[in-house]
Amino acid sequence: MTAMFHQAIIPPTDMRRITVLQGQVRVSDEANAVFGTILGSCVASCLFDPIAKIGGMNHFLLAEPPASHDPGEVDVHYGVYLMELLINEMLAQGAIKSRIRAHLYGGANLRTGMAPIGTANAAFARSFLASERIPLMREDLGGICARRVDFRPATGQVRCRTVENTLAPELKPATRTDRTSGDVELF
Amino acid sequence: MSKPTRILTVDDSASMRALLLHALTSSGFEVAQADDGIAALEWLAVNEADVVITDINMPRLDGFGLIERLRAGNRHHDRPILVLTTESSDEKKQRAREAGATGWIVKPFDPEKLATAVRRVAH
Repeated sequence: MTAMFHQAIIPPTDMRRITVLQGQVRVSDEANAVFGTILGSCVASCLFDPIAKIGGMNHFLLAEPPASHDPGEVDVHYGVYLMELLINEMLAQGAIKSRIRAHLYGGANLRTGMAPIGTANAAFARSFLASERIPLMREDLGGICARRVDFRPATGQVRCRTVENTLAPELKPATRTDRTSGDVELF
Repeated sequence: MSKPTRILTVDDSASMRALLLHALTSSGFEVAQADDGIAALEWLAVNEADVVITDINMPRLDGFGLIERLRAGNRHHDRPILVLTTESSDEKKQRAREAGATGWIVKPFDPEKLATAVRRVAH
């Protein structure tokens, strides 16, 4: 087991740890908040505004689209939604989009012989940030090992370490059809 | 052959604009895009759209402000305006309705449902 400390952090004992599960988005400006998650093929985006000291994390695994699409693609609708939800919540709490910086973690392919869904999810996340012109300050993506990520949203500090793959939850890729989404209400 | 329905989409997210462009052009619509409410007003000052699809949370002028400004003028007071948003609160929905929105769609959008809604409100 290896550990990577991207920035030195010494969590005080009164840290408030909040677990971010698949499909969730969390945003905070609390100095003692720590967002934590365990990632296998999933990707976690950690965004922060260093001036407003506001940060947020999402955690997603996108489904592969129907067979008519190219192999290795993912259904990006739900991913764009979760990224937009994260950014909008940060803006609502006072962040400025042009100041937002990003870290990306996860996207491993835990089982050989399976479709590289982790790689496709990581590619989506990178592509989204490039499209939105959000600087990617650090990434730890791909590989074959699960990761544990701890993110302090108010400072942007991240600790990412590899963990036993058995700790990564077995999760089903999400699609927009999993949700009651896109419903139209005419006034 | 009838002219295609012209749609102006208004969203500050380049990724969302790309998804909308693909979904709407694939359904046969003609699409123009603006990245916030001010850019939409500038475009609509010299162009015509049959339907406007707008996000709510945008810099400079948000979706509520855009709807209010369009409804206040003569040219667009009855233009169909669909709100496409991550917001799901009843309070925001009510505010959009009071501003003069024609409909409310929660992201992530379904391309087929969106196309059906556009056809229904276009006139």
